[in-house]
Amino acid sequence: MNTITAPAIEYLQLAPLLIVFGAGILGVLVEAFAPRYLRRAMHIPLTLLSLAGAFALVIVQTIKGVPTKPSAMGAVAVDGPTLFIWGTILVLAFISLLLLNDEDHFVPAASAVPGSAEEERALIEGNVHTEVYPLALFAIGGMLLFPASNDLLIMFVALEVMSLPLYLLCGLARRRRLLSQESAMKYFLLGAFSSAFFLYGTALLYGYAGSVDLAKISTALSANVGQDALLFTGAALLGVGLLFKIGAAPFQAWKPDVYQGAPTPVTALMASGTLVAAFGALLRVFWVAIGELDWDWSPIMWGVAILTMVVGAILAITQTDIKRMLAYSSIAHAGFLLVGVVAIGDAKQNATALAAILFYLAVYGIASIGAFAIVTMVRDAGGEAWHLSRWAGLGKRSPKLAGLFAFFLLAFAGIPLTSGFFGKYAVFQAAVAGGAVQLVVVGVVASAVAAFFYVRVIVLMFFNDPAPDGPTVVLPSWGTASVVGFAALATVVLGVFPQPVLDLAQSAAGSLFVR
Amino acid sequence: MTTHYLILSALLFAIGGIGVLIRRNAIVVFMCVELMLNACNLAFVTFARQHGNIEGQVIAFFVMIVAAAEVVVGLAIIVTIFRTRRSASVDDASLLKY
Amino acid sequence: MELYAPILVLAVLAAGFAVFSVSVAPFTGPKRWNRAKLDAYECGIEPTPQPVGGGRFPLKYMITAMLFIVFDIEIIFLYPWAVAFDQLGVFGLIEMVLFIVTVLVAYAYVWRRRGLDWD
Repeated sequence: MNTITAPAIEYLQLAPLLIVFGAGILGVLVEAFAPRYLRRAMHIPLTLLSLAGAFALVIVQTIKGVPTKPSAMGAVAVDGPTLFIWGTILVLAFISLLLLNDEDHFVPAASAVPGSAEEERALIEGNVHTEVYPLALFAIGGMLLFPASNDLLIMFVALEVMSLPLYLLCGLARRRRLLSQESAMKYFLLGAFSSAFFLYGTALLYGYAGSVDLAKISTALSANVGQDALLFTGAALLGVGLLFKIGAAPFQAWKPDVYQGAPTPVTALMASGTLVAAFGALLRVFWVAIGELDWDWSPIMWGVAILTMVVGAILAITQTDIKRMLAYSSIAHAGFLLVGVVAIGDAKQNATALAAILFYLAVYGIASIGAFAIVTMVRDAGGEAWHLSRWAGLGKRSPKLAGLFAFFLLAFAGIPLTSGFFGKYAVFQAAVAGGAVQLVVVGVVASAVAAFFYVRVIVLMFFNDPAPDGPTVVLPSWGTASVVGFAALATVVLGVFPQPVLDLAQSAAGSLFVR
Repeated sequence: MTTHYLILSALLFAIGGIGVLIRRNAIVVFMCVELMLNACNLAFVTFARQHGNIEGQVIAFFVMIVAAAEVVVGLAIIVTIFRTRRSASVDDASLLKY
Repeated sequence: MELYAPILVLAVLAAGFAVFSVSVAPFTGPKRWNRAKLDAYECGIEPTPQPVGGGRFPLKYMITAMLFIVFDIEIIFLYPWAVAFDQLGVFGLIEMVLFIVTVLVAYAYVWRRRGLDWD
């Protein structure tokens, strides 16, 4: 009998993941055994403490030194970029959860038909689906695992662990139930469709390399000559799955629908955390596994980047709904980030581009959570006031709120003295150094177009007369207030003193992805 | 020898993909997605045979579990929307646009 | 051929048990008349004429079916372990216990939320 040796698993390196997943499982137990009135009070500390604990462990890991080889027998790579991404996702998730836990954004009984007596009764009894906390934790755990996975199987499982809870969370909005359910269905069907593409790509690359390990695929590139059909089809299918998750054109169709229909705190979590995680995974696949093929994939990536920027910027102009507009803006930003992905070159160039992308992801994520937090505060009788015409004259009625929103929009536009400026500057600079000058020109033009619709909203808020029956601005709870405050502060500070975080991103990116 | 299985898997994947694009009932669309996942499984197992390692077979297990989880989440969403609208057609759900 | 002898023995035993219990039951068991017992068996549904278009099933069938799928498919990970548990040793055992405990957490949730109750 030959014994199989137990695999070596670096538990300390994986501890942030284990904590978040463990807290999710504990959350399910709370749901099962705690009485209803206690559940919320137990979930909030459990969720927030686990995220804070995971963040502390990420810092400890960073101080102790970045591991130089993948952990868990090569399944998960906890390297410099991963640690930076983990830190970013945990901060973004923490503030999204403050927003999520804040008020009753969620439906009292998801299974009840909207408008039925059953729903009425659940509303009167004050039911809430406290399951959203464990669901969010599982989604966040998936987001942490997705960019860290060093083989395609783990990446696929992480993709699903991240997506499945999000599909459910999208359908749980308390108001405008039909829109919410529709967004959940669309997100689910399209997401499942794209993950099938990802999986078939994985299968073909496995057929090509005999392994799904990213490093082994990379070494197979030079060893197996003459199986290009498998390799290129596989890489293309894999790319479709990943580009769908970041919402790059032509796979962007789900984004406006889902961002609009989902409960706004969930939209904030998706717009920040999912984007960061998906970009991490995209970079790992394209730079580690098939980085040697950059001559083959970068022309296509050029096209995708240009299309994404143009589609995002131009379609955003035609929007009349604030959440859809922010969704198209998120598509445009995915395009700007793709400009950085194309800027692949030698090791030094890669480190610069990677640092720029990491910084951009962090600042964009924080600003977008801030913007969505403000969207939750502007309310009509039927819920949040989404139509842009309702926002007219908001600057005259509540100047502070409108001022903060305008500030976040300026950060999206990349105006100097906001964090968005340095993010965009860093990415475009890296792209110029990488020889993608034409792409940067397109990016700058798209930014100008994008700035137009951001400024249009600002003009609408400050220079138009308010409607007599305009929306009310609800007094924010401490959760929402602290989210908006933190996001605004971070956007200012990173707009004036970006250096510490830029340095951090550079040192994280300096070691590049381990193989 | 394994080529036939790969062709079959590619065909299944294509049938599933086309089904997702042309069918209108959400349940059928979803079954087509599952067909695509099973096509992936066939490809994994075939390649495992071809390479003589069992990694592909192990992956097939994980894919089956993920597919089951997806079925449960997906059916829950589809049934909820069906109860609201009395229809599972993906064309009827069209409030979100432009 | 010897390899298959145990299977053959098992098949004979199983068939013998089935024949034995079915043939003995009429003599030993009580006989109480019940209309439902004489109906055609349709997985617990009352056999009624089907309406046009197949008719609708109550939602609880779907919940039961979904729970079945989820908990049934988890067994897939037990098969490889069952084949190689002696080689996998203590580490494999701990991993499987952790896995089953995680599944049990989900089971506890379903049970406490009355997902297993029929009515």
